[in-house]
Amino acid sequence: MTRFTPMALSLMLLLCLSPQLLSAQIFPYDAKIEILENGLTVVSIPLDYPHIISHYVIIRSGSRNEIEPGKSGFAHFFEHMMFKGTKEMPREAYDDFLTHLGAGTNGYTTDDYTCYFVVFAGRENLEDVIKTEADRFINLYYDEEMLKTEAPVIEGEYYASVSNPGRRVFETLRDTAFVKHSYKHTTLGYLEDILDMPNQFEYSQLFKKRFYAPDNTVLLIAGDYDHDQMMEYVRKYYSGWEKSNYTLLTPEEPPQTQAKRAHYEWPTKTLPMLAIGFHGPAYSDEKIDKATLDLLAETSFSRSSPLYQKLVIEEQKCLSLNASFADRRDPYLLVFSATLRDEKDLTYVENEIFRELERLKKEPVSEELLADIKSNMKYSFANALGTTDGIAGTLAHFINLTSDPNTVNRLFNLIEKVTPADIQKMCQKYFIKTNSTLVTLSGGKTQ
Amino acid sequence: MKKHIKRALTGALVLGMAFMTLSCIKADPDRISTELMPMEGNPLVSFRILLNVGSANDPAGKEGLCALTLSMMANGGSKSLTYKEIQKEFYPMATSVGLRTDKEMSVFTGTVHVDNLEKYYAILKDMLLNPGFREEDFKRIKTNYLNFLEKTLVSNMDEQFGKEILNLMMYENHPYGHHEAGTVETLQNLTLEDIQAFYSNHFFQGNITIGIIGGYPSDFPDKVMDDFSTLPEGHTPRLGLPEQRTPRGLEIVIAEKATPATAMSMGFPVSISKADDDYFALWIAVSHFGEHRQHLSLLFQKIREERGQNYGDYAYADHFIQGRRKFPAQNYCRQQQYFSIWIRPLANSNRHFALRQALLELKKLVEEGIPEERFELTRTYLLNYTRLYAQTLSEILGWKMDSRYYGYTDFLAEVQKKLPRITHEDVNRAIRKYLNFDNLYIALITQDAESFKEALVNNTPSPITYANPNMPEEILEEDKIYQVFPLDVKPEKVRIVQATSFFQKKSIPEK
Repeated sequence: MTRFTPMALSLMLLLCLSPQLLSAQIFPYDAKIEILENGLTVVSIPLDYPHIISHYVIIRSGSRNEIEPGKSGFAHFFEHMMFKGTKEMPREAYDDFLTHLGAGTNGYTTDDYTCYFVVFAGRENLEDVIKTEADRFINLYYDEEMLKTEAPVIEGEYYASVSNPGRRVFETLRDTAFVKHSYKHTTLGYLEDILDMPNQFEYSQLFKKRFYAPDNTVLLIAGDYDHDQMMEYVRKYYSGWEKSNYTLLTPEEPPQTQAKRAHYEWPTKTLPMLAIGFHGPAYSDEKIDKATLDLLAETSFSRSSPLYQKLVIEEQKCLSLNASFADRRDPYLLVFSATLRDEKDLTYVENEIFRELERLKKEPVSEELLADIKSNMKYSFANALGTTDGIAGTLAHFINLTSDPNTVNRLFNLIEKVTPADIQKMCQKYFIKTNSTLVTLSGGKTQ
Repeated sequence: MKKHIKRALTGALVLGMAFMTLSCIKADPDRISTELMPMEGNPLVSFRILLNVGSANDPAGKEGLCALTLSMMANGGSKSLTYKEIQKEFYPMATSVGLRTDKEMSVFTGTVHVDNLEKYYAILKDMLLNPGFREEDFKRIKTNYLNFLEKTLVSNMDEQFGKEILNLMMYENHPYGHHEAGTVETLQNLTLEDIQAFYSNHFFQGNITIGIIGGYPSDFPDKVMDDFSTLPEGHTPRLGLPEQRTPRGLEIVIAEKATPATAMSMGFPVSISKADDDYFALWIAVSHFGEHRQHLSLLFQKIREERGQNYGDYAYADHFIQGRRKFPAQNYCRQQQYFSIWIRPLANSNRHFALRQALLELKKLVEEGIPEERFELTRTYLLNYTRLYAQTLSEILGWKMDSRYYGYTDFLAEVQKKLPRITHEDVNRAIRKYLNFDNLYIALITQDAESFKEALVNNTPSPITYANPNMPEEILEEDKIYQVFPLDVKPEKVRIVQATSFFQKKSIPEK
């Protein structure tokens, strides 16, 4: 029967999703939410098909939480330490457990949260997974030597990506655009802080105490299991986890009053790049700003937009042109970026992007285009829900933002209401030259 | 309501299974094949249009032609729509046409919501059956490939660069022996006439397998078959490949560039593939030695976990491309396969040590086999982990198509049957038969290549230092063995090449 498992999954999904997506609720599953006495939020999405279960632990702390100087990159470093095991189950035994299970497992760290997932087959394994994961979140144990051994791995990770100029542009953009907020540094952190990580044993204990606590965590479980049985396991193994009661105060970013520029000279021959960032709003499923700007990014910079067609397809000055406005808990950047063929076109492309933004302040986008974009967003979202793990992985992002899976439906209802006039208004509000930061990168002159 | 859904689910499942057994039609070699997996009511439909042609079919002197031709179809206009118009049509459906070209097969992929199936398919069909082959698309796509080869690959992607150098070494003077994108020289000379000719010479019915999975209407496949049956009958004969050349000793190429970190890839040809019984035993051995991005990997444990030298260290029993998450991608089947080790970038100061580590561990694997408990653990792991391989519609379809290539009805079901029958002795016999530690191709990307070569040739001791002053004694003891482990590197077997010289022409550059 194993061979038909994935098919059964798809069959189950088809029964849950309305075939006429445009008129349906975008997130069609019944997500059950319970909060334990210690503050742990449990989100459960039982799915009626055999085998696969996704177990996600979402710690609502990421590089945003690295507010002290010298501690950049710590959330990511700590994610590595989370795989060191406990006294009850040391690292080797933990690895052994997951290996026997044949689980797909990993962790990742973002600006706002850190996520640990175990995707596995077989409801008979659910109790062991919950027990083992609860044990490591409550009883994680490592000594200073283990930390010192792990720290250089981060340095290795840094080197693994050091040959990517796109990363440099991104790093430089954040560092230049932000003055106070911890979004100034990337998730990986500054190299000098990475090099100091072996000396940060004490701080790592403080970091754990503050953020690895039930009142800062959401447990998300989706797949083939009985909800009540699952909750029994969760209460049994997670109830002993103590609250932290810590409140993080991220520094408020002052309004930017002057346009900023920076350039990174790459040591070898590479394609020139450009990124322009504007300070924008935080994620919200109530205020219309962020949802409107998301629609705008698509209107004017997606593959079907006039500017993309002009710069990438017709004039072929750019290899790529993107707009990305990531969802963040605090106000973040709306970023336009391009990879060019020739350094001499950097100013031209910069001017074209600004010209397009000026045009958008004056001319409303067409109703037809806006409808296309809303349709694209809905179908993209529906495509991402094609597997159990797709559902859990997609939801993890939204849960990190609000702790509440229902935010997805609220967000899409908000998107539905956005008009061309709203887009114009938001362009006028956010795309002001003095609110912009421009970063360019080029290289190869010396060769 | 819930009960109702359950009943419907069971019904649909049974229906789907019944269809599945009838779905695979193997037509005569000159006609289209199909792989149909209907799932009534599923909101999505995925396509895999597989072509039994890849970069190994590039004519001599026209390397890159296959990828460029197919990319003109996937990333260019059709006769009736420009590429701009296609993108405009696809956009509200949140869909696209993907393309992957490998050595002997290529695949066009796409997933669409059933709401939009008719509209999507009409465009897809036109892109493949009536490609536009316009000058402006040609110029744009060709320039993209040139930029990728000249700038991106050699400058910004050292991990991938290392793997490509290994491929060049492994398949010198062989149809596999160039990058799918070709070379700078051959790409520059390709013309639109070449594209037209390649299409006419290979877009035959018999080269195509149409794979469709999901909630499409029952009459949909007939319509697709009617459309694609307008292509000329015929097929490209299966490539007769020369024998793979086994390395003689340690054959090393160092690509030199300014870099703080060294990337390494190494390997040698193996004579078996997923089609062979021995593959399953070898797979257990290699999974134990270096399972992709898993703690199970012995190399990962030794290099990353115990010593914190880099992000990861893995080994593969056959050609591996990562798909969704860390699972293998599909439709990369080849007649000839190779074993490889991938050491992710690590500080230049540790490069000699890490290379010694990898090769000493390989030597121990070959000489000592794998311990009984590791055999049991790895086998259990693979039995469970492979149950996660096929989750999306596209993955289910892809595995089904690969199964057919290797002669199975369902490869993943075969894994469940075959692995439990493999014994510890089978695995150790496979290791002895297919692996070795003294004949390898080794690709390195680093700086100060001459000094590294000298250190390699002279077997200069290569101790490493740690941030942790209290490293466990057993690690330090083991280090003493690693750091002086002799490698038989002959100076004449080490080629140093400037990184920027790669991919200009077909073979490995002189310098």
